Amino acid sequence: MSKDLKVQAASKWFESRGSQVIALDRANLSLPEGGFGALIGPSGCGKSTLLRMIADITPPSSGTILLGNELPSAARRAHAIGFVFQSATLLPWRTVRANISLPLTIVGRGSKRVASRTPDELIELVNLKGFEDSLPAHLSGGMQQRVSIARALVLEPDILLLDEPFGALDEITRQRMNLELLRIWAESGTTALLVTHSIGEAVFMADTVFVMSPRPGRVSLTVDVPLPRPRTLEMMASQAFFDTVNRVRDGLFGAESPQMNDHLASVY
Amino acid sequence: MPSWSRKALLSFLLPVAGVAAALLLVEYLKRAGFLPVTIPAPSQVWEALLANPRGIGLALAETTANAVRGYAVATVVALGAAFVGALVAALRPAIYNLGVGLSSIPLIAATPLLALWLGNGPLTRSLIAGLASYFPILVGAMQGFRAYETNHMELFHVYSASRWRVFCSLILPSSLPYLFAGLKLAAPLAVLGSLTAELTGADNGIGVLMLSALFSFDTKQVWLTVLISCALSGAGYAIWALIERVVIYWDSPTELKT
Repeated sequence: MSKDLKVQAASKWFESRGSQVIALDRANLSLPEGGFGALIGPSGCGKSTLLRMIADITPPSSGTILLGNELPSAARRAHAIGFVFQSATLLPWRTVRANISLPLTIVGRGSKRVASRTPDELIELVNLKGFEDSLPAHLSGGMQQRVSIARALVLEPDILLLDEPFGALDEITRQRMNLELLRIWAESGTTALLVTHSIGEAVFMADTVFVMSPRPGRVSLTVDVPLPRPRTLEMMASQAFFDTVNRVRDGLFGAESPQMNDHLASVY
Repeated sequence: MPSWSRKALLSFLLPVAGVAAALLLVEYLKRAGFLPVTIPAPSQVWEALLANPRGIGLALAETTANAVRGYAVATVVALGAAFVGALVAALRPAIYNLGVGLSSIPLIAATPLLALWLGNGPLTRSLIAGLASYFPILVGAMQGFRAYETNHMELFHVYSASRWRVFCSLILPSSLPYLFAGLKLAAPLAVLGSLTAELTGADNGIGVLMLSALFSFDTKQVWLTVLISCALSGAGYAIWALIERVVIYWDSPTELKT
């Protein structure tokens, strides 16, 4: 039930002490159904704002966002949106299983949105078997975030939005979580859009990387990733990966510092 | 022995041992003649209780019944008002201000008025107990119903949850630490209200015994009634503290750490 995403000239501005602050200026992007997109950019480029507009948490000031042929508000009311927050956002009084089942409680177990996978199968999918009855406070940060991913998949979302879901995790856990996320995404076939700070992560995960720049926030470059699926860690050593990372980085930094670019290339 | 159970045992045994030691000390000082006539020996207070257990029991039942009735009404009204405030934001200031206004009426002045209108009976005394105790419940509930995390509310929003679902699954559980804080504080206040109402002329109750003991300069009886009042207040608090322990089984960031 996956749907394509079209963002057309979406803008967002705020009034602040009488003056207008533009958080996002006429952003355009499109993602085919079942595609994986990544939004990357420095702080203040409006990537979280864009994601929250797609989820209908905040409305755009102007422009159009379409999921299939629906507005985000209609998609949200149809329970078509899965959202993974920066923090795991688990309810502390619910066990792992009860947290994952929360969307079922909200939409009702009879809804046609209910995924074919049961909460217990999802717990297995995110490798948390044995922790079904644990409370979130007794889990590590990585485990909590996996619970929140399972929760986002307990309904079959048309689109899965991820707002720096692994930003607070260490590099090793993060890499493992990314592989897991790709596996889950491939199995579910949903359209996915990931906000990230990391160039390597964006290229490794996505079919298309949308590079954003700040003041005012806008989508300044779209980079297609020529790596095949399924992605493997070995691909991160390939020439195609390096070339794509370079293109994204050029989009982020321009040609302002070649030495800097060489240094960054050695990092990734 | 696991450390937590040793800790629990200590937190129970230490106060008990402390009280016992203090009682023994007072008993000794009294018998040795160091204490004035206004302070009886613990054994004398105990004898005063044994001298009239039925009368004191009836008085305690009366005071408790009025406190519990008033407290129950206060809880229903305060929670209802806070619930309405949670649903209709525009009513929130009005509800809060009305609450503040009512709570600033001196109880000792309200009692004769209510007695005049409603008769000098259990109804008046229950109402006074309710008036004395509703405010912490109202404040706790009004704060508690807004104590949810923004993140969590956005989650429910993305899932397009109904208002009722948001209240049951998010607002209510988030509010529990605040609700219990209010309920715990209010229980001793209901006892205080019940006693206060009795002071202005009732025919039965701990407050009545207290007053008559005072006027007949029966030191032991005064002490006995004071101690019974303290025990009743403490019990009201302790019951809610126990219920809170059972109900809030998760680590709550708003829980007061002891």
